[in-house]
Amino acid sequence: MKNKLSQLRDEFLRQLTEVKDEITLRELELKYLSRKGELGVLLRSLKDLSVDSRQAAGTMANEIKQELQDKFQEALKLFSARQTKNIPIDVTLPGAKMAFGHLHPITLIQNELEDLFTSLGFMILDGPELESDYYNFTALNVPASHPARDMQDTFYIDKKNKDGEYDLLLRTQTSPMQIRAMQKYGAPLKLIVPGRCFRNEATDARHEHTFYQMEGLVVAKDINFANLKSFLEIVGQKLFGPATKLRMRPKFFPFVEPGNNGEYTCFLCQGKGCRVCKNTGWLEIVGAGLVHPSVLEAGGLDPEVYSGLAFGFGLTRLAMLKYGINDVRFFQSGDLKFLEQF
Amino acid sequence: MYISLNWLKEFIKIPAKISAEIIATELTQHTVEVEAFVNQAERFDKVVVGKVLEVNPHSNADRLRLTVVDVQSEKLNIVCGAPNVAVGQLVPVALSGAVLPDGTEIKATEIRGEQSNGMLCAEDELGLGQNHEGIMVLSVGTKVGMPFAKYLKTADVILEVDNKSLSNRPDLLCHYGLARELSVIFDIDLKPYDKFLNKFDLSISKDKSLSVKVEDQKLCPRYQALKIENIVVKESPAWLKERLIAAQQRPVNNIVDLTNYIMLEIGQPMHAFDADKVKKITVRPARVNEIIETLDGQERTLNTDDLVIAVDKEAVAIAGIMGGQESGVSSETTSIVLEAANFQAASVRRTSQRLGLRSESSLRFEKSLDPALTEIAIRRFLTLLKKLCPEFKIGGNLIDIKGAENEVLVIDLDLFWLEKKIGQPIPRDEVINILKKLGFTVTEVTTKKDSIDILSVTVPSWRATKDVNIKEDLAEEILRFYGYDNVVSRLPLEILRTPESNQRLILERKIKNILSLRASLMETYNYSFVGVDQLTKLHVDFSHYLKVVNPLSEIHTHLRQSLIPGLVANIKSNQAKADSLAFFEIGSVFFDSAGNLPKETGGEESLPYQEKRLAFVLADENDNLLGRLKGVVNMLLQSLLGFNTEVEFIEVDNIPGWATAGISAKIITMGHDIGLVTMVSPAATAAVNLKKPIALAEINFDLLFDLVLAQPNLKFSGVLKYPPLTRDLAIVVSEEILYNKVRKAIKDFDALIKSVELFDVYSGDKLESGKKSLAWHLVYQSEDKTLTSNEVDNLQNKLLEYLAENLGAKLRDF
Repeated sequence: MKNKLSQLRDEFLRQLTEVKDEITLRELELKYLSRKGELGVLLRSLKDLSVDSRQAAGTMANEIKQELQDKFQEALKLFSARQTKNIPIDVTLPGAKMAFGHLHPITLIQNELEDLFTSLGFMILDGPELESDYYNFTALNVPASHPARDMQDTFYIDKKNKDGEYDLLLRTQTSPMQIRAMQKYGAPLKLIVPGRCFRNEATDARHEHTFYQMEGLVVAKDINFANLKSFLEIVGQKLFGPATKLRMRPKFFPFVEPGNNGEYTCFLCQGKGCRVCKNTGWLEIVGAGLVHPSVLEAGGLDPEVYSGLAFGFGLTRLAMLKYGINDVRFFQSGDLKFLEQF
Repeated sequence: MYISLNWLKEFIKIPAKISAEIIATELTQHTVEVEAFVNQAERFDKVVVGKVLEVNPHSNADRLRLTVVDVQSEKLNIVCGAPNVAVGQLVPVALSGAVLPDGTEIKATEIRGEQSNGMLCAEDELGLGQNHEGIMVLSVGTKVGMPFAKYLKTADVILEVDNKSLSNRPDLLCHYGLARELSVIFDIDLKPYDKFLNKFDLSISKDKSLSVKVEDQKLCPRYQALKIENIVVKESPAWLKERLIAAQQRPVNNIVDLTNYIMLEIGQPMHAFDADKVKKITVRPARVNEIIETLDGQERTLNTDDLVIAVDKEAVAIAGIMGGQESGVSSETTSIVLEAANFQAASVRRTSQRLGLRSESSLRFEKSLDPALTEIAIRRFLTLLKKLCPEFKIGGNLIDIKGAENEVLVIDLDLFWLEKKIGQPIPRDEVINILKKLGFTVTEVTTKKDSIDILSVTVPSWRATKDVNIKEDLAEEILRFYGYDNVVSRLPLEILRTPESNQRLILERKIKNILSLRASLMETYNYSFVGVDQLTKLHVDFSHYLKVVNPLSEIHTHLRQSLIPGLVANIKSNQAKADSLAFFEIGSVFFDSAGNLPKETGGEESLPYQEKRLAFVLADENDNLLGRLKGVVNMLLQSLLGFNTEVEFIEVDNIPGWATAGISAKIITMGHDIGLVTMVSPAATAAVNLKKPIALAEINFDLLFDLVLAQPNLKFSGVLKYPPLTRDLAIVVSEEILYNKVRKAIKDFDALIKSVELFDVYSGDKLESGKKSLAWHLVYQSEDKTLTSNEVDNLQNKLLEYLAENLGAKLRDF
């Protein structure tokens, strides 16, 4: 037994001199010093010896065990130290680069608002960008001679109807969907329409011929002005924070009566007045009103029975305000230096 | 439009505690947007009264003088070009830092080598008239150094009103109209306009020398003309000029100024002709290519859509827009024909638009003026003319040609309806007070009984031309003065229901998230327009593209039929900014064929066909660009349609101009062709000057949506109990044999083959020419037992035989 023990000791120490790194050291530990290792097996076999030889061998075994463990710990320290010393690691190194994509800022704003209105029980619709002058104007109570119908304001499609008139256009607003939705779904109705709109307007930092709007429509029996005001307050508080106040003033839109502008407390200066709100403390954001009876009629609803409220705002403008974008042309620029920031 | 507070005060008594700021705010809240209010004295900031002490010749310029001017605080050297400058004069001096009404900023400067520290001003330079004969000489005894504003006694405040917010209010383009609104806002009295009109008998003269004929009563619902004799054309008195200047209207002469004054006061444009040149007036459509030289000195070519005022045969004014050079009032004029007419709004607007000629007059006519205004305007003109030319004589009967009187509009307003509309009751007295102060006549038809409380409301003529027609219009009038802030907001009571969810938009959002968040593409929005140059470079036949009648530029003339040109442009504009680019877009494309939405309610015609597309592009120099792109297609479709959805790419011949033949493929899934993958062709790459290879995919979103909708609910299919065995297999086949065919042959060979995945394609030196090697991972797995190695090896040998027989395949010999 004693022979076996000293053989094991010598063999361990010999192999220890050959160890080159922590991994082989750990292998050595596993082979000899672990519970199922060779030393462990020998120690467990002590119980088969006679009492006398067990005592002597036991003492020796414990000494060897202590010695080997000390040598092992020593070697382990050495290798750990060597590892950190010889191959220094710069902990400030960056992670591996991963490509990631981006959503367009208009998409981000639109998603946010769609989620708000969905939670309020609104339906979301989108409609055709190429519309007829009937749905874009006539049905919305915009008379034939209204300035908005001018070529100066509206893009027409070079395709005449049988009366020799241009009656196709790129929608100037999302409002045509008010009529299409009423015709399709009837009342009661609660919907929003986000989408791309067009206006024949030369482009510069503040003007774009292609822009994005969101329209809201609620039709039911007994919809009133107090309801309109309430929805506008909710929208403002969602967009600009719970302390946001609403201020309304009259504004003419052919498809609503009464018609209003809605201004919200400027979120940049909390209403104190700044460059963005032109020192008024208010931001003009929303156009709104109670749906004009002719519009309800065009939608196939009886204005004596049903009433409605409608509101609309520019997603483009909201995105500019929210992200501080100072040039509206960025949205359609496809510039990756712009897009990668969202 | 510029509104003088002093002028407003002639019609209403504004309590002292109401400041200009309050007026501006309240008008904005209740009526029209006031963009700014300016103390008029500020317009003459740093302009003071000076005394000319010396006038010396300028050494380098014959026409310039060197003056020394005392402005009390100091004595200034000023170079002056005015011929009338003389020692001892009291003159307005613009000091360094002054900004003149035309925007000129005065600075100390050198003029032809002589220092000049200010400017001696002529009338026109101060916006006070058209006189530029010489510097303005002020009354003797004026205190030197006094602010010029104080000399002028200008203590007015000017409100700047946004014309755009007046589009539906013809009655508000004047001082009296706004005074009326203020009288409601502050609940103060408005002086009736009658008080400002003297009585004149306009039907006593026997003189018939003036005649008027109106050819089209529709375009000219009313035309009034009056001959006035014995007048002297001269400079207007100070009070008149002051008013015009306050409203930013340049004084010309007393007659022209008076017509402008009345327009600014009550909104009726007027015109004065020289009576010697105007005897027989005809209001008629212009003849084809008729030419008129307007007052601004420009020649205008007219057509039959335009209405003109003609004298004898010749057009002398474009109706409602601008007078001509010839017939206007000049300093020699001694008698005039005064015109006050009403022209149809749409016609005036069309002509003014087409000619690009907008005037204060057209601005008002195109909003539908009240025909009753013309006579009031003439009476007001005569009342004021009495002050300017006390000697004037009425030279003939007032000519008044008018169509049928407008019907008086009466609206029944049910106060219970009003309460329902607003959401809360508004006190009856308040409703009546608001309407009455606005000029409506209110008769109480019934008092509260049987839940009906109706007011009969007569609309005044100045609101009846287009603005107020129905009870909803009255609700707005009441609400805007009652105050929006006084309405208590309340959400509607409604039955809760789940809204119909828009699956298309949900899918759209899902795709955007997959492509950006998972495939790391960048979302871009491109215009719906494309241009000829762009399409030509991409070899696109655009003869069937829808065209825009009135494009803004040559790069935006047609409507897109694909998202690819836009995305290619995105690559081009960014190619210098990054090595690797990846964009996607979801958007509509437009075709010249009938779609499925009606053009009109119940109509048979439909809108052009519009389709939603989804497209993405990858651009970089790395290998296997097209393979990576197909990988995105695969991942997207499997994310949407199920994890083991088969996506196949099948060769296609009919490809768009930008695509490369031979490597273009249809995307087939669930038996449907939903799009195309390809690379931009070498020709297009060169034409567009692209620096990187571009792989692109375009998918029909609408078709994809139908497939997604038809998908049954996702079902877990279980996990096989028995272990799979994996074998690799590299075979050599002829290059003509496509991947799809080989894969199908392997996949269909035996049901135990559960997965067939290509991991390498090789052709080159180590193979016979015309051959390629395809290397596959095959997974064999049984549903009811553990397969042994032997069984699988046997099966794979049989597979190899089968492939050899059917595809001429050989096991690759490494």
